Amino acid sequence: MTDLHDHHTAPARTGIKRLTGAGWLRVLWVTPIFFGIGVGLPVLIRWLAHWDPIWKGSVILTVELVTVPLGFLVGLGGFDYWAYYASGRPSVVDDHASHGAKSWRDYFRVNTDHKVIGIQYVVTTIIFFCIGGLLAMLFRAELAQPGDQYFNPQTFNVLVSNHAALMIFLFVIPAFAGLGNYVIPLMLGAADMAFPRLNALSFWLLPIAGAMLVAGMVTPGGGPSAGWTCYAPLCSHQPLGQVFFNMGVQWAGASSIMTALNFLVTIITMRAPGMTFWRMPLLVWANFTTSLLVVIATPFIAGSQFFVMFDRVLHTHFFEPGGGGYVLGYQHIFWFYSHPAVYIMMLPGFGIISEVIAVMSRKPVFGYRLMALSLMAILVLGFSVWAHHMFVAGMAGWLRVPMMVTSMVIAVPTGIKIFSWLATMWEGKIHFTTPMLFALGFLSMFVIGGLSGIYLASVPIDIHASDTYFIVAHIHYVLFGGSVFTIFAGIYYWFPKMTGRMYDERLGKLHFWLTFIGFNLTFFPMHYIGLQGMPRRVADYAGRFGDINLFISIASFGLGASTLVFLYNMVKSWSHGEPAPGNPWRALTLEWQVSSPPPIFNFDEIPQVVGHPYEYGVPGARHAIFGAPKPLPADTEPIGTD
Amino acid sequence: MRRGSIFQLLGIAAIAAVITSLVAVLVPWLPVPASREAGRIHFVYWFTTIICIAVFAVVAAVMTYSVLKFRVRPDDDSDGPPIHGHTKLEIVWTAIPAVLVTAISIVSAIVLAQNSRTGSNPLVVKVNAVQFAWKFTYPNGKSYGYMTLPKGRHVKLDITANDVIHSFWSPELSQKQDAVPGQHTYLVITPTRTGTFPVICTELCGLGHALMRSHVTIIPAAKFDAWLKTGGQAASGPPGLAVFQENGCGGCHTLQAAPGANGKVGPDLDNLKQEAAGAKQPLAAFIKESIVKPDAYIAPGFSNAMPPNFGTTIPPDKLNQLVQYLEQSAK
Repeated sequence: MTDLHDHHTAPARTGIKRLTGAGWLRVLWVTPIFFGIGVGLPVLIRWLAHWDPIWKGSVILTVELVTVPLGFLVGLGGFDYWAYYASGRPSVVDDHASHGAKSWRDYFRVNTDHKVIGIQYVVTTIIFFCIGGLLAMLFRAELAQPGDQYFNPQTFNVLVSNHAALMIFLFVIPAFAGLGNYVIPLMLGAADMAFPRLNALSFWLLPIAGAMLVAGMVTPGGGPSAGWTCYAPLCSHQPLGQVFFNMGVQWAGASSIMTALNFLVTIITMRAPGMTFWRMPLLVWANFTTSLLVVIATPFIAGSQFFVMFDRVLHTHFFEPGGGGYVLGYQHIFWFYSHPAVYIMMLPGFGIISEVIAVMSRKPVFGYRLMALSLMAILVLGFSVWAHHMFVAGMAGWLRVPMMVTSMVIAVPTGIKIFSWLATMWEGKIHFTTPMLFALGFLSMFVIGGLSGIYLASVPIDIHASDTYFIVAHIHYVLFGGSVFTIFAGIYYWFPKMTGRMYDERLGKLHFWLTFIGFNLTFFPMHYIGLQGMPRRVADYAGRFGDINLFISIASFGLGASTLVFLYNMVKSWSHGEPAPGNPWRALTLEWQVSSPPPIFNFDEIPQVVGHPYEYGVPGARHAIFGAPKPLPADTEPIGTD
Repeated sequence: MRRGSIFQLLGIAAIAAVITSLVAVLVPWLPVPASREAGRIHFVYWFTTIICIAVFAVVAAVMTYSVLKFRVRPDDDSDGPPIHGHTKLEIVWTAIPAVLVTAISIVSAIVLAQNSRTGSNPLVVKVNAVQFAWKFTYPNGKSYGYMTLPKGRHVKLDITANDVIHSFWSPELSQKQDAVPGQHTYLVITPTRTGTFPVICTELCGLGHALMRSHVTIIPAAKFDAWLKTGGQAASGPPGLAVFQENGCGGCHTLQAAPGANGKVGPDLDNLKQEAAGAKQPLAAFIKESIVKPDAYIAPGFSNAMPPNFGTTIPPDKLNQLVQYLEQSAK
C-alpha cells in the first residue's frame, strides 16, 4: 500500500508536447478530426450504397452527436491511460499524475481524484439547475395569463421539455452522484473509488450531455418539444432538435451507469477493515441500492431513446402504428426505466437525510437495519410499479389492479423510513442548522408528496388526475420537496468538508425559508387547478384558471430568486468563509475523522472500523480507530451496541 | 413517554386534523360530478382523503412536538439517549400503513370494475382524435366536432387516434382515456346531469395541443332521440363547415365565419386570398394543395406544423366541400 503515496507528477510540457498531451489544446484539434469522421462516414456509406441524396443533414447530425463528443473526450485525455495500455506503451498502474487539485485549473481536466470529481459534479449540476430553473421561470411568465403572450406553442413546449430533462438528467441524478462521489470513499475508509479513471470519464460525459440538451433547444428548425417523456409517435415526427434530446439522454445515461458500477465495486470491495455491511452508514446503503437501480434500469431508457430515434432517422417502425409498430411499447420501456428513476432520484436523498438527522439530533438512527432493508424493499418493488404511469394509456386492462397494489405497497417501506426519522428526532438534542432545516423541510414536503402519491396509485383517482396539474404538483413535492431539499441538505452538510470552510449559517437559513415558502406557494395550488380540470403542458388554458396561475407564477419567481441567496452564500463562503475544523458537526462517520478538506489520499492511516456509525449517546462508543497497535477482529462490537 | 406529552401530542394531532379537514372541505377541490362514474371516483377520493388526513395529522404532530420540545439549549453539547430501535413499534408502523393501503386498493379495485360496466344497451360513440380536433361519430353514421349525450344512459366511447397519442377527458365526467393510433380503447360514461362541459386533450400531441378542446352537452334522454334524428347544429351550416369542424381546423386556424375557430398556430384563413397571391396560385388550387400537401408552401412567419395526412383522411367529396367553403369564406 505504500506506493499508493508515490507521486508521479507530470513534467511541465513544452513545444509540440503541449499540443499532443492531454488537455484543452488537444481538444481544439482532435475534435475537428472527429467532426470530419462524422461527416465522412455517413457520406461514404451512402455513396457506396448508391443512396440518394449522398449528403443528408439529419443523418450526418446524428452521427456527429456520437463522434464529436468522442473527439472531445479523446482530446481531453479521457482514454489516454487505456490507449497507452492497450497499445503496449509504457503505463504505470499507480500513475497519480492526474490525481488531486492544486489550483483551479485542475478542476478543468481529466482528474482521477474522487474529491475533485465530486466537486466537478456538484458545481456542474448546480449550473444546470440554474439553467433549468430559468427555463421554468420563462414558461411561468407565459402561464401567468391565459392565451399566448411571449412564446409560441413550439417554444413553450421546448421550454417545458428541457426544464424537465435538465432537472432530471443534469441536476438531480448527477448531483447525487457528485455528493456520493465525494463522500462514499471517505465513509468507507478508502483512498479513492475502485476505478478512478472510469470515474473521471463518467464526469466528463455530463457536460457533453448538458451541452447537447441546451444546444437542442436552439437548433434551427425547432428544439425537442415532445415533453421529457418524449412519447412516440409524436416524438418521431419532431423537428431536428429532437435528436439532440435522444442522444443527450444517452450520454447522461452512460455517465450514470459508469458511476453506478464504480459505486457498487467500491462499496463491495473497498470497505475499510471491520466495515461490515451492517456497519455501513445509511448514505452508503442508499447509494448501493441506487446504483443497483441505475445498473438494471438505465439501459431501458437508452433502448427507448435509440428506438425512437431509429424510427426517425432510419425509418424503422418500432413505435409506428402504420408500419406494424406498437405505440405503447415505447411507454412500457420508457417507464421501466423512468419509474425506478424516481427512486434513483430519491434514495440517495434518503441516505443524506439519515446522516443529517442522526448527527443533528445527537441520536442513533432509529431502526438502522429496517432502514437499510426498506431501501432494498423499495429497490425490488420499484421495478414492479412502472405501469402506474399508464393507467389511462390503453395498456392491457388486467395490468391496472396489480400495478395499483404494488404501487400502494411501496408506501409501506417509505412510511417506515419517515416514521424512523421521526423516532430518531424524538427526545434528541436537535441542532437547527441549515442542513437540519432542509432535512425537516424534506420530511414535511415528502409526506405531502407521498400522500398525493397514494391518490395517484389508486386507479380511479388517477383516471381523473392523470396528465393534469395535480401530477405536476405531485412530482414537484416529491422531486423538489423531496430530492432538491435533500441535495441542499447534503451540500450544506458536507460544504465544510469539501471546501475546508464554513458556510454562512444566517444566509443558509434565509435560503431555506425563502425556498420552503416559495416552494409551497408555487406548487400547492397546482393540486387544485389540476383536479378542477387544467391539463399539463399547455401554453394556453381556460380563463377561469387565470388568477391562480398568476399567483403561481409570481410565487415561482420568488422561488427562483431564493437560489440567488444560495449561490451568493456558496461563492462567498468558499472564498472567504471561516476555516472549517475537521469535524464541525461532531459526527462519527469516517469522512469527519480527517481534515477538511481531506488529505490527497484521504487517510494517512487505514482506519479500523470497530462499531456502528451512529452511536451518539453511547459512552465511549467509536465507529473507527486510527493507528491501532494491532488490528481488532472484524466482529468486535463497541459498548452499548444492539 | 410521560402522560403529559401524550396529551400534548394528541392535541397537536387534533389541531392538524381539523385544519387539514377544513382545507379539504372548504376548498372545492373537485368539479361537481356529472356522471355516475365521476360520483364513484369522488367516493374513492374522499375515502383516501380521510386516511391521508389521519396519517398527516400523526406525522405533523410528532414533528411539531419534536421541533418545539427537543430543540437543543445553547452550549449543550451532550447527546440524546442512545435508543437504537423498538421492534414492536416498528412492526406497528409497518402493519398499519399496509392495512390502510390495502383498504384503499380494495375500494379502488371495486370502483374501477363498476366504472368499466357498460350495461346491457349502451350507446356506442366512436371517438376519433386527430391533431388537433375531436370527431364523435354516432351509430347513425353522423359525426360532429362536439359530443351530445343522453342523461341516464350508459355510453361506451370507442376511442382511437389517427396520428399521435391524444387523451380524452372531461373534468365533470372524470373519466379519462388515451386515444392511441393503431389501437381502440374504451371508456364508459353514464351522464347524470344536463349541461355543457368541456372536453380537453390531456396528452401532449403537438403544437395545437392546448387548443384541442371541444365540449359535451348532456340532454334528457327523450330529447336525445330527436337530436339524433335531426342531426344537431352541423346540418344548419354549409356542408363545408361540417367538414371544417369535424377535422378540427379551427384548433390551429382562425376563420371568422366558423364559430370557435380562433387558433393561432397556423395562418389566418380569412387572409387566404393574400396567401394565394403570395404563392402565385389560383385560390381554389392553392387551398387544396395547402390541405393535401401542407409543406408545399409555408406562409411567412409560420412553421411546417400541419399534419401531412389530411389528403388521405378526408374523403374526396368532403375535401371538395371544404375547399369550396374556404374559398367562399375568404375575403
